[in-house]
Amino acid sequence: MNALVQIVVDALSLGGLYALTALGIGLIFSVMRLANFAHAELVTCAAYALFALSAHPLVMAVAGSVLVAVALAVVTERLAFRTLRSADPTTMMIASFTVSMLIQKILVFSIGSRPKSLDPVPVLSQAVWIGGAQVSLLKLVTIAVCAVLLLALTIFLRRTSFGLQMRAAAENFTMARLTGVRANAVIVAAFALSGVLAAVVALLFTAQSGFVQPRLGVPLMITAFVATVIGGMGSLTGAAIGGLLVGVVTTLLQAFLPPDLRPFREAFLFALVILALLVKPNGLFPARGLKERI
Amino acid sequence: MTALLQIDALSVSYGRISALRDVSLHVNTGEIVAIVGPNGAGKSTLLATIAGLVRPSTGTIQFRGQSVTGQPLERTVRRGIALVPEGRHVFGGLTVFENLKLGATIRRDRVAVAAEIAQYMALFPILSERRNEPAGQLSGGEQQMLVIARGMLSNPALLMLDEPSLGLAPRITDQVYDLIESVRQRGVTVLAVEQNADRALRSADRTYVLNSGSVRLSGPSADLRGKPEFEAAYFGLGQAGADK
Repeated sequence: MNALVQIVVDALSLGGLYALTALGIGLIFSVMRLANFAHAELVTCAAYALFALSAHPLVMAVAGSVLVAVALAVVTERLAFRTLRSADPTTMMIASFTVSMLIQKILVFSIGSRPKSLDPVPVLSQAVWIGGAQVSLLKLVTIAVCAVLLLALTIFLRRTSFGLQMRAAAENFTMARLTGVRANAVIVAAFALSGVLAAVVALLFTAQSGFVQPRLGVPLMITAFVATVIGGMGSLTGAAIGGLLVGVVTTLLQAFLPPDLRPFREAFLFALVILALLVKPNGLFPARGLKERI
Repeated sequence: MTALLQIDALSVSYGRISALRDVSLHVNTGEIVAIVGPNGAGKSTLLATIAGLVRPSTGTIQFRGQSVTGQPLERTVRRGIALVPEGRHVFGGLTVFENLKLGATIRRDRVAVAAEIAQYMALFPILSERRNEPAGQLSGGEQQMLVIARGMLSNPALLMLDEPSLGLAPRITDQVYDLIESVRQRGVTVLAVEQNADRALRSADRTYVLNSGSVRLSGPSADLRGKPEFEAAYFGLGQAGADK
């Protein structure tokens, strides 16, 4: 029973982080068909901002890191992706690799590749008891924050008129523009939102890992990217559920694989991913309007 | 009086393939003008070029006396041109109501918009019944009504329709054209592209026949109906088509 509570908390907190990362990637993919690998660096730079501001109160540090991630997201859009908007998805993907590499190398040159330790929210590194089970407060907070953000994003997309415009653009960008939806506004908003999500992920993730290094965001981004593929590229619901699912499966593998095999849990995870894609090649929630035609 | 839409010597090509050659036409305020022609005649390209989806290689398009070429796409509807593209293009994953609301993206007068949406829902009760269901679940005819209503909600001066009767049963086609006639009565000018020449000739004030990218014949629909030259132009048989 106690083990079960712990597994559920582990699964949901990891799944929540993957879901937020997957949503950050999914938001941009859905409006401009860009698989943004530089999302990893949004997380990394936000984490470095937390490190740089670690002497300041938490609110300031968090605000600073959100600002850094949003600014970086918007600047990469303006400088790298805007001119490629009508290019084919492969070109944009390669451009995003380039941006990702560039930022990583800049970080290595300017700060160094050695991990810096940080503990942004020390108060969370205690345990709490649920029934007879000891679970980390940080993981509970992670679950709560992820739930709140998912809810807020859902309300934004479902209930506001700008959210409606973003969903229309995700479904059929050209038609949305013909109804008057401003392409630049929607795309910049998507990048800014992905920056906010990345900053939150950076906070929650470094609070667990306790350090930041130039490739911090890369494994997260790769797993989250896989999650968006599982969920169905271009579908935001799919990205969120895919992220959650990948987190849950990873935790279950970690818990139930024989100890000798645990180091290879990613291999099992990706084998399952391949199986899932063989059954549902377009993901669990295929997006509409992936092909654009007018 | 100057025309609402004036197109002069317009040519468009996709790479080396020429889609429109030296097309000139005009649409006056309050008219219904039809452009008919077979598949591949360049009809959709013409509308796409007016809407700003395609850039012309030469020629000018003037709307209310101002050039509209080379502008960002989202400006088209703000100028007063609404395009209802071929294949209907509802936002299939959004609800019927959300689709209608998107039609009014550029407007700020929310009260008037809500009243107009209510009007369309009264006109087409199915839209009201299905208001909270995904628009993709509507039938073809219902989707066509929805996209025309969506286009109208931007309060356009010119409504352009690409193949409004494509794939619809004759009875539904009649409904669509009734709607188009009521659009005109609201003071909106209509430019419709049709493969269904009979249908177009019956409803439009004037008709242009487009074939292989050029205007082969034009005139008041009543004059063109039943004329042997009309069929010849439509099928590219006339003298004008003898240039190849």
